[in-house]
Amino acid sequence: MAVRVTPALNLPLIRRPPLRRILIRYLLDPSTPLADSTAVASRRAEGRPAGRPSLAAYGFLAPALAILLIFLLVPSIWVFGLSLFRWDLIANNPTFVGLANFERLLLRDDLWWQSVRQTVYYTAVSVPASMALGLFLAVLLNARMPGRNLLRGAVFAPYVTPFVATIVIWIWIFNPDYGVLNALLRAVHLPAPGWIRSTDWIMPGVIIYGVWQHTGLNLVIYLAGLANLPAEVHEAARVDGAGPWRVFWRITWPLLTPTTYFLLFINLIGSFKVVVPVYVFTGNTGGPDHAAETIGFYLYQQAFAFFHAGYAGAISVAFFLLILLMTGIQMRFFSRRVFYT
Amino acid sequence: MTRRAPVLALRYLLVVPLAAAFLFPFYWMLVLSLNRPDAILQFPPRLWPQWQVQNYAEVWRFADWPGLFANTVITTAGRVLLVLATSTLAGYAFASMRFVGKAAAFGLVLAVYMVPAEVTLVPNYITLSRLGWIDTYQAQFLPLAASVFGIFLMRQYFLTLPRDLWEAAQLDGCGHLRYLWSIAAPLARPALVTIALLQFIEGWNAFLWPLIVTSTDRVRPLQVGLAAFSFTDSTRPELLAAGAFITTLPILIVFLLAQRQLVGGIASTGIRG
Repeated sequence: MAVRVTPALNLPLIRRPPLRRILIRYLLDPSTPLADSTAVASRRAEGRPAGRPSLAAYGFLAPALAILLIFLLVPSIWVFGLSLFRWDLIANNPTFVGLANFERLLLRDDLWWQSVRQTVYYTAVSVPASMALGLFLAVLLNARMPGRNLLRGAVFAPYVTPFVATIVIWIWIFNPDYGVLNALLRAVHLPAPGWIRSTDWIMPGVIIYGVWQHTGLNLVIYLAGLANLPAEVHEAARVDGAGPWRVFWRITWPLLTPTTYFLLFINLIGSFKVVVPVYVFTGNTGGPDHAAETIGFYLYQQAFAFFHAGYAGAISVAFFLLILLMTGIQMRFFSRRVFYT
Repeated sequence: MTRRAPVLALRYLLVVPLAAAFLFPFYWMLVLSLNRPDAILQFPPRLWPQWQVQNYAEVWRFADWPGLFANTVITTAGRVLLVLATSTLAGYAFASMRFVGKAAAFGLVLAVYMVPAEVTLVPNYITLSRLGWIDTYQAQFLPLAASVFGIFLMRQYFLTLPRDLWEAAQLDGCGHLRYLWSIAAPLARPALVTIALLQFIEGWNAFLWPLIVTSTDRVRPLQVGLAAFSFTDSTRPELLAAGAFITTLPILIVFLLAQRQLVGGIASTGIRG
């Protein structure tokens, strides 16, 4: 790892590889510790294939590649073609309409733009909140302490439990008249909002659920990042008399940068695609006055509630391009910040 | 060590209330499911259950739970087994075999990783309806029977096996398939367990795709049945909570038994499944 620790507590100058390289190396080798993903290549020389090229390999690859091609790659290209048709899923009578779907989507569809704004809102609030909470808990739960696994498990459990089963409970927690949340708020003399019945509060409700559901992932990945930090640096800092606050901001946080980048990457894309919580919280309505509709939900509704396959295709294309754009921006932005101090 | 005790106390003071808040909805699921119908409309809410165990007997009549359970088990098992098979075979080919077009095939798998599955919902629905597969079991798991992460994970594991092993097996007249089945795959058991756990969770919790490609309770999984129940019978929240608890229990059991492997698997891949 290319860390140059300058004397005593002056900031360690850390050279980071661009996110692109971190991600690709991580994809190729998921066992790579994220906090130290700079030099791993050497140990795998062992199993390198030798001998004659084998035809059997195609047979080995065929099942996986066939499924990935038929159900992921081909549809992701086909959807561009689909977006040029008016295609009712029930009548099944595709008519070529050129770019008409995009004209309607981008110029005349207020609901689409509303869903874009709401998706951005959801992402902009839930991602920082859930990452910050995950990091906070990870730092606290990284120490040796009795009951540690139980506490970690409590935060992680929502991440592996089914959406529907937990949301039906949250719907009652959010119930404006009889819910525990409003009972608590009234007890401390705070205003009790209408939550999922209110156009202003339904999105915060979905966001609270999202943070509750997703923080466990951020916790365990931050814990994995913390476990891979060099212990000596922390020891040295403590010996030099640095308090925990200082140690965190000056050492832990900069050293966790690759983990944070990686989490930001998967959190942003994951939350941009949110569908199921909106579907279940609103009972497939999108909420009062469409107040909780996200891009993913709008796509689902156009396709499978209104059966507008062509128009849903156009939404899919726009959605796809938005996600690619986001990925591209992140990679550019992060790869420029090579020096992190 | 005198400085350590207050620090530890502070840690607990910060963490325990937060952890309790995360657990609360699970507790609330239990409380709601054990309440009498009128208790739910009480304000302020009762924080303790009334031990109305008969709710669990009653909810049994509201939906075909054994059928929904069987459907969930079938589609989840299909998904887990197929992903294990496709990941093992493809991971092995990428790690240990030589063939023309390997770089291209690997590039293709990487490219597929960038495709958000949501974008493929509509085309895949059209494909499946043309095949006449709408409202079948295979529609729910066959499109998901290959996992890019599964392939990467298996490839990675097979790369760490020493080449001597393969050479020795070859001297004994072992072909690739036999070597994979009786030597390499058993050695890769930790990776297989990780993939199986993640796929089990994904399969059990699957909602959006089964919702789209099923139309009757004949093949529907639990989560879709539960959502239908919640939309139609919102007047009986205690029964809904009991249903929610029944469908969550298998996941909670697996979680408690395999927390370590599960967390390790998710921490190392950054995803479920």
